[in-house]
Amino acid sequence: MRSLFLRSRLFAVGVLILGLLILIALLQPFINRLLIGNTDPLAMGTFDTMLEPSREHLLGTDKWGRDWAALLVLGLRYSLVIGFLSGTVATLISVILGFVSGYKGGRLDSVLRTLTDMVLVIPALPILITVAAYIKFFSIVAMALLLALFSWAFGMRTIRAQVLSLRARPYVDLARVSNLNDMQIIFEELVPNLLPFLGVALASSTAVAILAETGLELIGVGPGGNIITLGLMVNFAQSWGSLALGYYALLFAPVVALILIFVSMNLINMGLEEVFNPRLKRVTGG
Amino acid sequence: MKNHPVLTYVVKRIALYILTIWGAFTIAFFFFHSVPGDPIGAYVRSMEQRYGQRIQDSEQIIQAWRKSMGLDGPLWYQYLQYLDHVLLHFDLGPSFVNFPTPAQKYIFEAMPWTVGLLGLATVISWVLGFIFGGILGWKRDSPVASGVTGLSLVFSQVQPYFMALALLSLFAWKLALFPRRGAFDPSIPKAFTWQFILSVIQHGTLPALSLVLTTAFGWVISTRAMVVSILGEDYLIYAKAKGLKGSAILRNYVLRNAMLPQITGLAISLGFILNGAILVETIFQYPGMGFLLTNSISQLDYNTVQGIMLLSIVLVMTATLLLDLLMPLIDPRVGRQGSA
Repeated sequence: MRSLFLRSRLFAVGVLILGLLILIALLQPFINRLLIGNTDPLAMGTFDTMLEPSREHLLGTDKWGRDWAALLVLGLRYSLVIGFLSGTVATLISVILGFVSGYKGGRLDSVLRTLTDMVLVIPALPILITVAAYIKFFSIVAMALLLALFSWAFGMRTIRAQVLSLRARPYVDLARVSNLNDMQIIFEELVPNLLPFLGVALASSTAVAILAETGLELIGVGPGGNIITLGLMVNFAQSWGSLALGYYALLFAPVVALILIFVSMNLINMGLEEVFNPRLKRVTGG
Repeated sequence: MKNHPVLTYVVKRIALYILTIWGAFTIAFFFFHSVPGDPIGAYVRSMEQRYGQRIQDSEQIIQAWRKSMGLDGPLWYQYLQYLDHVLLHFDLGPSFVNFPTPAQKYIFEAMPWTVGLLGLATVISWVLGFIFGGILGWKRDSPVASGVTGLSLVFSQVQPYFMALALLSLFAWKLALFPRRGAFDPSIPKAFTWQFILSVIQHGTLPALSLVLTTAFGWVISTRAMVVSILGEDYLIYAKAKGLKGSAILRNYVLRNAMLPQITGLAISLGFILNGAILVETIFQYPGMGFLLTNSISQLDYNTVQGIMLLSIVLVMTATLLLDLLMPLIDPRVGRQGSA
């Protein structure tokens, strides 16, 4: 892991940005206290409305008198929770199916591969919009599961391809003739070698989930209730016409936070690929 | 068939194409119909609103509508009925909102706008991305190039709908340089006049820009990566040893080899065109398939939504099918086995 940081600057920068964002999300209760004391960030009418950014309100306040910076930290927390929850579930699905498909091969492999291709081409957003629009109560977990259902296919293909190539390596044959069973081979020989690809699958499915959630919020069919995400903040800022009226912080703060999330995930992916894809290493390593 | 490997491959590939379309649509159909919504109720309410009076004796009428909209009987029966309509009659069923006009009429009306706007924007982004990505990869050691690469990396993660929101509020609302919604000025008659074409271009500029200014950076990054990986190939050392000029190597060896995988990428993203269209078209209320889709969803117009989803699935699958069948002809390195 340490050498990974040294070998890829992209990876290091990506982990640094993402780590910082996660830290902010984890420390949300403390940061909230620093920003606005013991006030509920979601409570309306706490402050004057539509204030410009200032010492007291770093990003100003919104139309309902809420501190935008405190909301941003809370929104970041919810967005990351939804993203990682969904990304983890999606990665689990893709790992299980990818392993079964790649390791067992044969007829089962063809069936699973065709199923994956089907899920890959289903236009997910229309279905997500429909489901989100007509189910009244939507918990964070339900949202994450729904997003995961449509974001595992890409990771499954990556992992299956890797399992296929790893399976043919001599050390796996060695493990097989030394009478290790399938589970032992998978967990002791294959999984350690696949960790970087699991990282790629996790980072990309998490990014896809956050992206989709933001899309749903923009159309106005997010989880609702008291759940404020970065996407919902973009939606609010847009509906108040904040750019046209000159309240730039309201729109740009959540947009920048989202872009930072996407950039960091992308950097991590590119870094992992740079280190573990030998075809690229020859050039970039030199 | 046995002694004709190419024919066997093509037949197998087309069978898989049909199977995948069927499977993807079937999953989408049942997922969509599991949503607890009542399209007939929504339709009756919208009728009542439109005519300002309650509909009498509604139970019978609702039954009749249910039948003509293909919503009577259990789910599997509705499914079979739908397949029968689509496959044997090329009929996507009546639009619920504008009953009894068939849904395909609205879809085909919306299609040229999406294909024109997004197809053009996608191709422009690809060309720009390919050119600049090629240059950045070729000059990968210069500090300016790595700076620009870093910036492109950030901009490639700006989503088209963020750009759409920014452009809309800045150029349409604040500066009022461009129209805010629609695809043309409705006061100008629809005809091949300069006035109408100008209005179409004016209305399309911002939506197209929001796609070009974001997705082009994605192509820059992927083209650059492709070029950098080609720069490690042995045949470039040979070309250099032959004494070829740098520009000739770039044009004839590097870009040529980078182009094929990038064209594959372009074809696939043209297949996925509808995904990008949904949010951008909705933001600009551009009358393409994406806007039609979000509108139909909010009115529970099952037939229109299903039709668009089916079309989108067919589009993506056809793009990949054509690639798989044509690539071996264009690129001798792609074996028929490898493309399966």
